[in-house]
Amino acid sequence: MNTPILEVKGIKKTYGKKEVLGGVGFSMQRGEVLSIIGSSGGGKTTLLRSLNFLEVPDEGTICVEGETVFDAAWVKKQSKFRAKPEHQLKFGLVFQSFNLFPQFSVKKNLTLAADLQAKKAYAKDKAGLSAALAEISQKADDLLNRINLSDKAEEYPSNLSGGQQQRVAIARALMLNPTILCFDEPTSALDPELTDEVLRVIRDLRDAGMTMIIVTHEMEFAKSVSDKVIFIARGVIAEEGTPEEVFDHPKCEALRRFLKRDFASSNEE
Amino acid sequence: MSVFQILNLLWEGIGVSLKIFFLTLLFSLPLGLLIAFGRMAKNKIVSAIFGIYISIMRGTPLMLQLFVIYYLPYFAFKIPLSTFGANYRLTAVILAFVLNYAAYFAEIYRSGIASMPVGQYEAAKVLGMSRGQTFFIVILPQVVRRILPPVTNEVITLVKDTSLAFAIGQIEMFTKAKQIAAAEVSMLPYVVAGVLYYIFNFAVAYGMGLLEKKFGKYAIK
Ligand SMILES: Nc1ncnc2c1ncn2[C@@H]1O[C@H](COP(=O)(O)OP(=O)(O)OP(=O)(O)O)[C@@H](O)[C@H]1O
Ligand SMILES: [Mg+2]
Repeated sequence: MNTPILEVKGIKKTYGKKEVLGGVGFSMQRGEVLSIIGSSGGGKTTLLRSLNFLEVPDEGTICVEGETVFDAAWVKKQSKFRAKPEHQLKFGLVFQSFNLFPQFSVKKNLTLAADLQAKKAYAKDKAGLSAALAEISQKADDLLNRINLSDKAEEYPSNLSGGQQQRVAIARALMLNPTILCFDEPTSALDPELTDEVLRVIRDLRDAGMTMIIVTHEMEFAKSVSDKVIFIARGVIAEEGTPEEVFDHPKCEALRRFLKRDFASSNEE
Repeated sequence: MSVFQILNLLWEGIGVSLKIFFLTLLFSLPLGLLIAFGRMAKNKIVSAIFGIYISIMRGTPLMLQLFVIYYLPYFAFKIPLSTFGANYRLTAVILAFVLNYAAYFAEIYRSGIASMPVGQYEAAKVLGMSRGQTFFIVILPQVVRRILPPVTNEVITLVKDTSLAFAIGQIEMFTKAKQIAAAEVSMLPYVVAGVLYYIFNFAVAYGMGLLEKKFGKYAIK
């Protein structure tokens, strides 16, 4: 079997005395889509934030393409720990609340981080820099085209609908070519009629071979888009498998209860 | 005595008032940011020291601080003030103003920075931006936008506060107006000075309004 694109082992995280993640591990192959489901407070966000170095786990390791990018043994003081930039950039994260930079245009939101990297890389090479910046600009235009927002390039994010903002946030993450793109409930902050346009973008990314981890409460979507589903309850993986296994033949009682409740509530709406 | 004659006599004072105003802003705005960082330091002792500084500067009259700074070399070290030369008065005024206003600005910066949603820092971090880039490119412009209204208030107060310099005998616009008024036995110099302060503040409010417009093109949460 190929080296997994992502291998997570024994992630533990405690806040004070509360154990939020109690040893989570899983692995993914290139191009796979993994959905993480589970009831509120189970630790899904904490896991995703750990992968993106927004939380520092107490224990565990994270390897991307065979390279260890995080090992809790490296951490002397959690508040001081900062991942190497190249490790940080292995992951991209799309937030529930978009977190676009309000003072910049849509296009500048896309190009900002890449521009800064280029300026650093080509500090002494003017011609190289202007070529790199032009390439970044072109790439941003292409991505805006791909999410159907070319006409909004110069708008401020606040002038966009939630669905449009979230698509911009996805494009912004893609600008830096993450190896693995993570989503934390990308449609939870959206009006129901705006979720489809965002889910469609994610589906297109899957078809283009993007490796993705999606925390979601959209069960139908998870079922149709994922190669693999993980059910997290109380900080541990209570069940995992293909969408068919997890959704159609749940084994553990907690998952059965969760699915019943979730589908029941989504039918009520 | 005509308004023009009065303006002519006030001229010197106006220059000093403007100097106090602009130099105070030039130094206190950045110093305030440093003090805000000190106040927000993780180290409790550092944070407490800056907290005490801010509370003293805001809790005592500026005029008193002016006296303390002006006379400190003499009362603390017995150095005659004349040793510092002709500009000492103005230097002391500006120093006192900078130290005082920096404390006010520090509190404004601090509340502005504290009001920033953590998601902005996190978004910058996952995009691989350094702490410095995050602060100066992502955070600070939004903070500036949030704090422009309270900063405008402080700047307008500063225009009026420049007249406090008369307390240690620094001749600025107000002192000058007082001298002329006494010599001429007339209210007119005060009226002219008042109008000038008003125009000055009007210009400040207009300038800050332009800034608010420039920064206000986008909405923030
Ligand atoms: N910074 C923190 N300090 C203390 N407790 C925290 C912190 N972050 C999360 N928690 C706790 O950790 C637990 C797991 O939270 P997490 O946000 O990971 O759950 P989740 O599965 O994403 O839930 P939801 O579906 O509601 O988003 C919760 O009980 C939460 O209260
Ligand atoms: Mg969550």
